[in-house]
Amino acid sequence: MINFKADVLPLKNRLYRLALRITLHTGEAEDIVQETMIKVWAHRAELSGPQSAEAYSMTVCRNMALDYLARKESRHAALDDAAHEQADNAASPFQQMARQDGLMWVGRLFDQLPEKQRTVMQLRDIEGKPYKEIAAILGITEDQVKVTLFRARQRIKEQFEKISRYGL
Amino acid sequence: MDYKYIEQLLERYWEAQTTVEEECLLRDFFKQEHLPSHLERLRPLFHYESTAQEMCLGDDFDAKVLSQIDERSVTVRYNTIGYRLRPFYKAAAAVAIIFTLGMAAQHTFEQNSQAEAEQNYNYANYKDTYTDPQVAYEQVSSALETISGGLRASGMGLQNDTTLIKK
Repeated sequence: MINFKADVLPLKNRLYRLALRITLHTGEAEDIVQETMIKVWAHRAELSGPQSAEAYSMTVCRNMALDYLARKESRHAALDDAAHEQADNAASPFQQMARQDGLMWVGRLFDQLPEKQRTVMQLRDIEGKPYKEIAAILGITEDQVKVTLFRARQRIKEQFEKISRYGL
Repeated sequence: MDYKYIEQLLERYWEAQTTVEEECLLRDFFKQEHLPSHLERLRPLFHYESTAQEMCLGDDFDAKVLSQIDERSVTVRYNTIGYRLRPFYKAAAAVAIIFTLGMAAQHTFEQNSQAEAEQNYNYANYKDTYTDPQVAYEQVSSALETISGGLRASGMGLQNDTTLIKK
């Protein structure tokens, strides 16, 4: 039996990050999380336990975010600045600024990836999910997840190499 | 300090060959303050991956969602009468089946005994239908008259038929 407060509500931030990574819009992402939770709760009888509730929620959330993208052209805006944490206090103000810039740049790099690649990067490198779970959420095979992740990381690697050659 | 292991991990990271644990290790490694310059350039990537994990929704989100979800169904669902009586459903079903079978058996048994009573040819078991002998006599004579009337009519019919055949 699924309990809303114990099993569904704690997924809110993970769902929000996924919706935000796909939609690149904070308000829209929050609405999507809300709609996802209502939908998951309405279908709770079909879920076998908290684990399947998480996978199902992530799938529903992604589909809703994709619907949003289909309805509206993605604006490819950068993620909220609020998302980025303060750098180490030990670093000098100049270093701090450079690190903040670096973080914003990486954020934009992530968001410029094709949707599938950035969703896989989000689920793997930020949420730390195993391939099996990512495959279940996206409805693809584990091999396809690995290939997508490989392409995404290669693209990011290329950008980092470009920077080290030509600078920001 | 030897960074060979980290460099190997990084190579495997780009190839998407690392495990979740190894990726955690990389993120932790890049949190340290001093890094060699060839690794320093990758700091923003792993730092971003760590900080993006902490992105959260506002505090008012819970209240908004909970107001849309039927609160009663969240907590009261376990306490409904139907849910509490669930263990007794099978017992009730078994009792209902036995009761139905019993009723059916009794019904057929009664029907059999009724049929037996109707087909009883033992004269010793016969009982008087009328208490007044006069009424009984009249009933019997009227019944006999009906029979003799019937017989007479059929006899007449038969005579007519034979005369027709003779002709």
